[in-house]
Amino acid sequence: MDKNKSSDALDEIPTFNVDNIQNNTRIINYSRTFMSIIGGVIAGILGVNGLTGIVFYFLVMAITTAGLAAKTEFSVHSYFDSWNRIVFDGILGGLMSFVLFWTFAYDMVHIF
Amino acid sequence: MAEDLVLDTAIRDWVLIPLSVVMVLIGVLRYFVSKLMRSDQTPDVKIVKEGQLIIRARNLRAAANFIPAKSFRARKNYYSNEENGLLHVPKGQAQNPQAQMFSDPNMAMDMMKKNLSMIIPQTLTFAWVNFFFSGFVAAKIPFPLTQRFRGMLQNGIDLSTVDVSYVSSRSWYFLNLFGLRGLFSLILGEENATDDTQRMMQMSGFGFDPTKSLGAEKDNLDIVQHDWALPKFEQRAEAVLKKLVS
Repeated sequence: MDKNKSSDALDEIPTFNVDNIQNNTRIINYSRTFMSIIGGVIAGILGVNGLTGIVFYFLVMAITTAGLAAKTEFSVHSYFDSWNRIVFDGILGGLMSFVLFWTFAYDMVHIF
Repeated sequence: MAEDLVLDTAIRDWVLIPLSVVMVLIGVLRYFVSKLMRSDQTPDVKIVKEGQLIIRARNLRAAANFIPAKSFRARKNYYSNEENGLLHVPKGQAQNPQAQMFSDPNMAMDMMKKNLSMIIPQTLTFAWVNFFFSGFVAAKIPFPLTQRFRGMLQNGIDLSTVDVSYVSSRSWYFLNLFGLRGLFSLILGEENATDDTQRMMQMSGFGFDPTKSLGAEKDNLDIVQHDWALPKFEQRAEAVLKKLVS
């Protein structure tokens, strides 16, 4: 999944491969989108509503972050330029998808 | 909520599901149609040349610290020297991008095609939704919202007593329009996700001014602080080897 960038966390000179970084960022976005859709469906089926749903979304995103960090074997700096990437990238982008699939599944199961 | 609306299951079967499925299918269709209509125009030699030049200069800037100071100076001089450096653009040669765009009908045509492939399906689906499903309460969002959102979510229903979290079919269409973008990026690849926003950006920057970017790149190159990294690498190698030995 992830490609290593040729860098050492200890190194003070930033040496990284732009293509690989872009690839990794794209993978983050994919994972986030995927997780937000799946999370939305799960939230809808469970019948979560109100603020709990938003909390659920951030929980899912936190799980994604943990998963990505685990995928990099917790040496985030050899794959990304900073922790912020893995923690914050693409969180708001998935929100719309989450709301849509949440509503969809919730309506399917609970409203009708 | 005191007054819970009871929604007919027929609405689910004949409005909610078809609407969503149609939105997805139209998105897929649009992707393939725009792929078919994409024409491979042969780009202008001059523009390609300048683009490559900028990439080369950028590479030099990124890798500046890996070459000795002398080599860097020589390269920098090659790019940004005031007389005949590659990045140096003589005054008055700058072409008006607007004029350039109009002189090339292919460019305008391409732009129009992209625009049309975006607008036509949207208009059609919107008209379809309006025609068949206007006035339905199609769904209920599972979180409360303030009255402010009524116009947004209950577009097409003029009742002020219905709880705001009920969504009309027209608004469900809009919700789909925005929310499915993520799904498309998953099933159609990155290319499609960037479709709307990125393409819009591209379009505005269509007749982008190459001379301007050349100048910008030149300025960037001029302010690069050169600091050769190799001497430090010896120490680093020493440290690594020591760690290996011990």
